[in-house]
Amino acid sequence: MIEVRGLTKRYGEVLAVDDLTFAVRPGEVTGFLGPNGAGKSTTLRMVLGLDAPTSGTATVGGRPYADHPAPLRAVGALLDAGAVLPGRTARHHLLALAASNGIPRRRVAEVLAEVGLDGVARRRTGTFSLGMRQRLGIAAALLGDPPVLVFDEPLNGLDPEGIVWIRGLMRRMAAEGRAVLMSSHLMSEIELTADHLIVIGRGRLVADTAMRAFIDARSGREVLVRSPQAAALRRMLSAAVQVREDGADGLVVTGLDTAEIGALASAGGVELHELTARQVSLEQAFMDLTRDVVEYHTEHAPDGAKETVR
Amino acid sequence: MSASTMSAPAPAAGRATFVHCLHAEWIKIRTMRSTLAVVLGTVAFGIGLAALGGTAAGDEYPNLSAADRASFDPLAISLRGYLLAQVSLGLLGALVVTSEYGARTIVGTLTAVPRRTRVLAAKAVTLIAVALPVALLICLGGFLVGQSALADAGAPHVALSDPGSLRAVLGGALYLTLAALFGLATGTVIRSTTATVTTLFGVMLIVRGFAPALPGALGDWTVKYWPPIAGGQIVTGYRDPDLLAPWPGLSMMAVCVAVLLIAAFAAFRRRDA
Repeated sequence: MIEVRGLTKRYGEVLAVDDLTFAVRPGEVTGFLGPNGAGKSTTLRMVLGLDAPTSGTATVGGRPYADHPAPLRAVGALLDAGAVLPGRTARHHLLALAASNGIPRRRVAEVLAEVGLDGVARRRTGTFSLGMRQRLGIAAALLGDPPVLVFDEPLNGLDPEGIVWIRGLMRRMAAEGRAVLMSSHLMSEIELTADHLIVIGRGRLVADTAMRAFIDARSGREVLVRSPQAAALRRMLSAAVQVREDGADGLVVTGLDTAEIGALASAGGVELHELTARQVSLEQAFMDLTRDVVEYHTEHAPDGAKETVR
Repeated sequence: MSASTMSAPAPAAGRATFVHCLHAEWIKIRTMRSTLAVVLGTVAFGIGLAALGGTAAGDEYPNLSAADRASFDPLAISLRGYLLAQVSLGLLGALVVTSEYGARTIVGTLTAVPRRTRVLAAKAVTLIAVALPVALLICLGGFLVGQSALADAGAPHVALSDPGSLRAVLGGALYLTLAALFGLATGTVIRSTTATVTTLFGVMLIVRGFAPALPGALGDWTVKYWPPIAGGQIVTGYRDPDLLAPWPGLSMMAVCVAVLLIAAFAAFRRRDA
């Protein structure tokens, strides 16, 4: 379990993280989202004792990270997959980490096998692809068999097979009762993997909610109906219901749910070809939520695309 | 599926200690490719220079004036390789920490061992464990090869049992180990390999070259007290009354390195990784 209370980091005039409070619970995958520069990495670095907070606290398993007698057995973290010495082999990279926490050597072979790098254990990491380095970083996080896992952008550089593998790994780790915190820019992946969401923008907490609730709250109550008798169906809907047309045979209805519309259509003898409650994607919900808080974004001016930095 | 995924996710027993950290740093210095290059290069250069310097000085000896003969220093001639060895061992000391900032592995290192004093102390101890034997090899090898070259050329030479010889060899090795620690401290404060190497060259070689050209008292003071110049007196046999004696000179260097190390520990503890 990770608990962050009133966490704040100030760099001169800039508030990178502003009074952040949240908890990451065991048995769940928690997605950590925010636009670029929102303070995600800074937050994770403070949780792991790499950067000192200006104020506030972060604890893992009830105590500050640095107070754990063997930190790698308490928290496994992947912060920067590129962080390997190119001349060192994958095995030596992990052996040094294992040694520092008194973790037996056999764990190195075990985690290398787990992430599928056992065949290249004795190769220098300078020859690795980004995807292989991600796997090596994940192997390092698993070394101490920790109850808490933190992954910052673990999907960068992975091929589709690797992405599916990570999804399975995260789900499995959570099912075993571990607390898993994962940041990513790939919304579709977070939507498939995470149970819970923490969204920050400009260093502040924007949302801390279950994934389902987050999407439902932003999905509105739109229902798409397609029927060859769309005009007839429209006349049957009461004036209190908002309707707009979607093509020749489609209606987008707000104010009735799918069951109510289906019942109306059935009663009126109207043939339906489609009846769908419109769900926004996590991506859409995220964009709607963070539109006002993004630090850097692209505006499309009439005379062409123009990058503006606020 | 590995055993890890079967076991219950509770923190296992076991406390990480300084010895664990030392073991980790030993694996790291051993598997850093530059370590072998620096060690082999420094030894080859140090001993090679002693052979060449001994032969050249021996050949010149018959043509020297009486004054030059009086200050002829067989010890210093055979140990002159320390001039470059101090920079290369300083570089090794720097790399122990700057390579971690360069490759950003410092994040993994400090996540594994958040006690920063422990990390830097373990780095210093492993560095000494590598640098001291190498320094001894350079100084003893240089001494033996250099004296034998001088003897072959028929010039004055000394034996290891002669007064001052053992002091120069052992003291020279201590000086080079201090130079490695100087690199570690500087690298920890500066964090960049290139900037640290430039600093090492400046402090250890360029000041030495420029010091005599500095005006009056400043020049005299620098030649006498600048730590790498003062420390270098440990490998000389000829006594210049204007300079510090060998052991006070080496102490000057040791105090300077100690102060820098204190600053390095303070910076390493305080700064964000």
